Amino acid sequence: MNLFVLYLLLLKAVATSFSGLTSLPVVRHDLVEQHRVLTDRQLNAAVVAGRTAPGPNGLYIVSVGYFVAGVPGACIGCLAVMTPAFLIIPMLRYLGVRAERPAVKNAIQCVMVAAAGLVITSTVPLARDALTGPLAVGIALGSFLFLVLTRKDTFWVVLGSAAIGLLGKLL
Amino acid sequence: MPPASLKQLAWIFLRVGNLTFGGGDPTMAALQSELVAGRRWLDEEQYGLIYGLARITPGTNLLAFSAAAAWKILGWAGAVAAVVALTVPAAAMVVLLTYGYEVFNSNALAMAAIGGTLAAATGMMATSAWQLLAPQIRAGRRARTAVIFLASLVASQAFSMPPVQVLALAALAGLIWRVPVEP
Repeated sequence: MNLFVLYLLLLKAVATSFSGLTSLPVVRHDLVEQHRVLTDRQLNAAVVAGRTAPGPNGLYIVSVGYFVAGVPGACIGCLAVMTPAFLIIPMLRYLGVRAERPAVKNAIQCVMVAAAGLVITSTVPLARDALTGPLAVGIALGSFLFLVLTRKDTFWVVLGSAAIGLLGKLL
Repeated sequence: MPPASLKQLAWIFLRVGNLTFGGGDPTMAALQSELVAGRRWLDEEQYGLIYGLARITPGTNLLAFSAAAAWKILGWAGAVAAVVALTVPAAAMVVLLTYGYEVFNSNALAMAAIGGTLAAATGMMATSAWQLLAPQIRAGRRARTAVIFLASLVASQAFSMPPVQVLALAALAGLIWRVPVEP
């Protein structure tokens, strides 16, 4: 895939989201379904890589870029993650108090809710690929409950799930 | 305000951004300690405005926050330095982890461990959806939240509507169906 096209697609995904994984439905739609340059399994692995590393949550996009086009793709992914951040500067200069307007807040609240629905829709095919047995289903449910109830770092979930997967194979 | 140098500023974002796990909120809290309480390069009011604007800036909130905070301190050079310092080292680690996934793809034991993490990833995604949804499930907003959540599920799942269109329609719905918001 042409790197410029990849940049535009990843930028579109990042620029139409408001936090880490809310860009995932757009990435899946464009790269898995439309262009077929990424598989659901790779997208899943990208989420894990992005969540394991420190730093901003949206860095799974870098891993997506790497899967699609190697190191140049990863650089493009990194650029796509960074670009929209600078939009805040003109907003800071000119919007200021207007950001507190009820109309803007209402629109954002609804976007967040719709994004939750889109994330669920994207999770279904990834789950179909990853949840291959009772142990995997247990890990997924356990991860969800652990993260929601304890608010601990996802790093521990990644570490624990890898250990459980390994033990499941050895025993 | 004590003067800041580009090197000092970049070092703070590099250190805090790449050593703090847990994503945006813990990192922004750590940056608040450094920039507001510690060095007094920003005051509380500026921090509050930047934090609020970062929430409504498209993309990664933490990067938008960092760009704005560093721009306020040292202009465009500061903004670019902060975003690069925060992103590039962590991105390199993501590439290494992805490379590791590819290398160990054919090893049965490694794949068992990776299979566990891939299963956990679906749990992480469900958590992400829950974290987006939970703040909107409160008195006065529940009906709108339920309708928009179900509509987005049906539009994307049953009618395969592209995500950008779903989000645009949701924003439009928010402009029309307003509820009182906190100050």
